[in-house]
Amino acid sequence: MIPLLILTPAILLAAIGAAWKARPVHAALLLALCLSLVGCLYVAMGAHFIGLVQFSVYVGAVAILIVFSLLITRPSDDDEEKVRRMKTGMPALACSLPLLVMLGFTMFKQSALLEAPADEPAMSLKVLGEILFTDYAPAVLAMAVLLTAVMIGAALFAREPSKKPEPPSDS
Amino acid sequence: MMLGNVEFEMAWLAPEQWPRLPQHLVEWLVALCGLPEWLVSIAGWFTSAGVVVGVFMGLFALLSLIERKTLARVQNRYGPNRAGWFGILQPVADGIKMLTKEDIVPAKADWLLHLLGPVLIVIPSILALGVIPYGQDWVPVPLELGLVFFFAVGAMTEIAVFVAGWASGSKFPMLGAMRAISQMVSYELPLIISALAVVMMSGTLSLPEIVESQGGYTLGFLPQWNLFTPWGLSAGVVFFIACIAEANRCPFDLPEGESEIVAGHMTEYSGFKYALFFIGEYLGLFAISALGITLFLGGWQSPLPIFDFLPSWLWFFAKLAVVIFIFLWIRATFPRVRIDQLMRFAWLCLIPIALLSLPTAAIWHYANKANNDIVAWIATMPLVLIPWVVLTVLFNRRLSPATTRTYHFAE
Repeated sequence: MIPLLILTPAILLAAIGAAWKARPVHAALLLALCLSLVGCLYVAMGAHFIGLVQFSVYVGAVAILIVFSLLITRPSDDDEEKVRRMKTGMPALACSLPLLVMLGFTMFKQSALLEAPADEPAMSLKVLGEILFTDYAPAVLAMAVLLTAVMIGAALFAREPSKKPEPPSDS
Repeated sequence: MMLGNVEFEMAWLAPEQWPRLPQHLVEWLVALCGLPEWLVSIAGWFTSAGVVVGVFMGLFALLSLIERKTLARVQNRYGPNRAGWFGILQPVADGIKMLTKEDIVPAKADWLLHLLGPVLIVIPSILALGVIPYGQDWVPVPLELGLVFFFAVGAMTEIAVFVAGWASGSKFPMLGAMRAISQMVSYELPLIISALAVVMMSGTLSLPEIVESQGGYTLGFLPQWNLFTPWGLSAGVVFFIACIAEANRCPFDLPEGESEIVAGHMTEYSGFKYALFFIGEYLGLFAISALGITLFLGGWQSPLPIFDFLPSWLWFFAKLAVVIFIFLWIRATFPRVRIDQLMRFAWLCLIPIALLSLPTAAIWHYANKANNDIVAWIATMPLVLIPWVVLTVLFNRRLSPATTRTYHFAE
């Protein structure tokens, strides 16, 4: 319970900061912090595997993707960003409010979610793996094919067209 | 021997138990003072962590000297030879220099992130060192998901490099960070896929159990390490190449290529922050080599049955020394690759081979299950040899622009 009480406000603060910060890089880093704190929350709640996967997927891949796209596209000046924030703030709030209401409704409706489970969940990693590769095998296979195709596609995209290099102009 | 209410066991003094001796002693002393149980275990954890950090910081200091000496020997120089006997005090001199240098934060830098960058680089390396089984009885943190933990904390390094590069507020750190992140992301794939083959074969994600699954000897002398199987050889070579790239070592040290972009993401750092980058880099090198040893070189298992009397952690550190020396040798021998060659090598060479090692491992598993060693070797060897040969030839002939490159200004 204590980790929950410490981590939840921290997650919320990081999330609000990510939405509020004017500089995109700060927002992206706060988002990474928020995602890693969610991973910590999973670990604190005893779901070690999902917590570590949260780290490697969301912090190691998703946050890096965002950060990298920020590196490639030069962010504009701060003043411009502030203007844009004023313009996009209201639609963003309008979009996220229904989600927030829905989440709150679900949480208070199902008060059992707020109570701690009586005993440790009996789901070991081996059991999880067995279920994934028996009951959910088609889904896992479909995902695997999709991801492999995406990877090959990315490698093909990254390959430059085979043409002779032009001599650099020395102007 | 009984002192107070906690027993001092003579078994703690056995060579096999030496790495845990400080922890036992501290726990014994704390219990002797009559402090509560939870304080005893907390003191034990801190001592255990202190031993890991202390040992590897000592090895870092030693390696910084050995590296310079080895490079000097290869390049026909003396290397450091002024501080102390044969330059043995050079790490101390370096440390004093780093600590007393002025810490400069550029005017354009984001000071908080500028400070966080080097700290964030050291933390994951230390965390990763915590789950490695150094000896039969010495795993600082025996996690069931050790391997996943290792790669999960490794993800933090990329963010740290980005933070360091971006917060400096100038162009070379930014370029260095971009290079570093693209290189780390690309080489993490072959690294993880080749580790996956080992997970598949040993059926566990716990590093101590992976080491135990490599115990025993074929024909009484050949150790059953993963490297000595066809799939393990293929995956192991991929793993070690990807290791060099993940640790940003030469020939893949583009992120900090001194002759191209000053020092990459470390350009705007000085003093102890700069030293922290080096500590992080070397601890990361130790961690990833230790993982490679655990996965492919049998961890703490001794190479020959007659050497079983030596303590297991000694074998681990001997293997670590050999692997690190091979990295030094590679650094002294190979020139730095270009960024396009680096990417092409990862995506077109290492990842396909790493992916192929998975079906190879599956074939090996089923052939071995039928107790047919010869069939297993015959069925898997072509799967290993043909891709290596074909890709090497392709890589040299067609895909590499190095062969068709014209030098406009050098001719």
